[in-house]
Amino acid sequence: MSAVEAAPRASVRPPGVGRFGPAWMLVPALVLLIGFFALPYITIITMSLREASTRAVYGDGFTVAHYATALGDPYIWGILGKTLLIGAIVTVLTLLLGYLVAYHLARSRSRWTSLLYIFVLSPLLVGLVVRTFAWMIILSNNGVANKTLMTLGVIGFPLQLMNNSLGVTIALTHVFLPFIILPLLGNLQAISPDLAMASRSLGASRMRTFLKVTLPLSLPGIQAGTILVFVLSISAYVTPAMLGGTGGRTMSVLVVQYLVDNFRWPAGAALAIIMAGVAVLVVGLYLRLTARAMRRLP
Amino acid sequence: MKLTRREFAVAATAAFASMGLPRLASARSPLVVPTYGGLWAKFWEEKLLPGLKEATDVEPQLDVGLGKDFVSKIRAGGDRSPYSIFMGNENIAAILRAEGFFEPFDVSKLPNAANVYPQFVNKDTNGIRSIISPIGLAYRTDMVKTPPTSWHDLWENPEFKGRTGLYQIGNTGAVVFLRLVGELFGSGPDDFDTAFAKIKELLPFSQASWSGELSTALMRGDAIVAPVDWTEIMVLQDKGAPVDIVAPKEGVLAFEQSFNLVRTGAEKDAAHAYLNYVLDANVQRDMAKAFYTSPCNKASELDDEIRKRTPIVGDRMSEIRSYNWDSYVDKAADIADRWNREMA
Repeated sequence: MSAVEAAPRASVRPPGVGRFGPAWMLVPALVLLIGFFALPYITIITMSLREASTRAVYGDGFTVAHYATALGDPYIWGILGKTLLIGAIVTVLTLLLGYLVAYHLARSRSRWTSLLYIFVLSPLLVGLVVRTFAWMIILSNNGVANKTLMTLGVIGFPLQLMNNSLGVTIALTHVFLPFIILPLLGNLQAISPDLAMASRSLGASRMRTFLKVTLPLSLPGIQAGTILVFVLSISAYVTPAMLGGTGGRTMSVLVVQYLVDNFRWPAGAALAIIMAGVAVLVVGLYLRLTARAMRRLP
Repeated sequence: MKLTRREFAVAATAAFASMGLPRLASARSPLVVPTYGGLWAKFWEEKLLPGLKEATDVEPQLDVGLGKDFVSKIRAGGDRSPYSIFMGNENIAAILRAEGFFEPFDVSKLPNAANVYPQFVNKDTNGIRSIISPIGLAYRTDMVKTPPTSWHDLWENPEFKGRTGLYQIGNTGAVVFLRLVGELFGSGPDDFDTAFAKIKELLPFSQASWSGELSTALMRGDAIVAPVDWTEIMVLQDKGAPVDIVAPKEGVLAFEQSFNLVRTGAEKDAAHAYLNYVLDANVQRDMAKAFYTSPCNKASELDDEIRKRTPIVGDRMSEIRSYNWDSYVDKAADIADRWNREMA
């Protein structure tokens, strides 16, 4: 090997890049990933495997008893099922309502459009607790909804609209509506209106154009928005805690009760891990199904 | 300015190290004083802590939260608790006491403890129940024809059927009520089977996580009767709400704020000085004015107007049903779990 060939190897290293190459630049990302993602999970998983104790935070030994007890308990499965059902219903409702709003916003050329944006985003500017209190005023036995229905003669006695899953579902639909509108809006705005015009000019009706052109092309937005709303709904705490009562208790509320009220940290941690595991399974399955549907797109 | 990696590393290390300097520079750290939000935080900020600073050399630092948050922080703190003194309901304090986090107070450093009604001083002075908020039966004056006079009325007055409000089991109010029902209908405060059976007879009832939520249920008319503390109902009355509260003939319950010396805390002398100040007759009187609590100091004197609205004082302090929670600690989680499953 000649000296002329060997010399350039050292000189091609860009300034600031050491012997280890640019790998050191990964360090901040790794620190963040480990500190904010891996460590909390490892801590929770470890805690879920510790023995229970009524004389300390947890016992000295390790056990899988908390998982076995939770997985063999129909009460826990009932709450888990209810949580997933509430999440699914909220997701469908927000999709139906949110799509209408997002579609209108994406296509609107009105000068009032910016006002509509503010309306969509305004719930996010008000604290969650305040919004949930507002729903308590609306949904309670002597609340606005029941009083209005009774005044109109629709019902003779107050309906139980809160302290159950119904109240939680209604409030969560309101709370998470912006979270599906925003991804859908971005997606719908990216679809060229020329495609719909081409479909119409070829003789397709408005509905057929929507079903065959716009809706399939908006599937990525639907996928992103629905996953976001579903995950947020099943992990929501404040709204189910305030509006759900005993009848609308969800897994998040149960986990907090185990951790904070009952001081059963290992069992609570096991419940949280079970909940996370089930959520990952459901979202993974949904991703596969929607990805398959999207692959069929032209 | 452009830093080399080495210069950056040195600067970062120095910056991290400097974070610990204030602790080193100060001979004593401030006494972290835990208290609750709302009216409590306001009283601590505006009255209690300024008075404490004037009366002692304690440098307090307020920490607002819930008793259960304080439990978590003490547990997480391990050998270095963020608090030297713990304030929380006695049933919660009993859990930490059983775990060995507390140690007895030195009574020679608590002169005011000599005036405390004995029922509020735990064995070996391992905790003193220093702020007493009695719980009576509150009701809507405009919606209830026959006001309650007894706890039994919850079962016997047909007006209350399906319109009763109760605390959720996560609140101490539910736990003391459970023990009371065991006493009233069963063999004693540990007769939980009887208590559960009797409380289930009250279903359906509204459940609330805290007193504010119960008073909201009362104001909405979702509940027309509920066991609630005087503080909450007097505040509602002051706002003109149609509510009143009675002391049932069998006695009242109470939120008993237990003050405990944290074994792993750093400022034990300051903790003694703080508790001694809290137990002061005048401070107890001021608390009664602010919260309608019952002074636990025998020497505390209330004017007639306050006495009229805070009836459980003086000789009537014996009407408060105080419970020993040592035996309850091991059962607490199972009982809470059972309540959540059965009271739905």
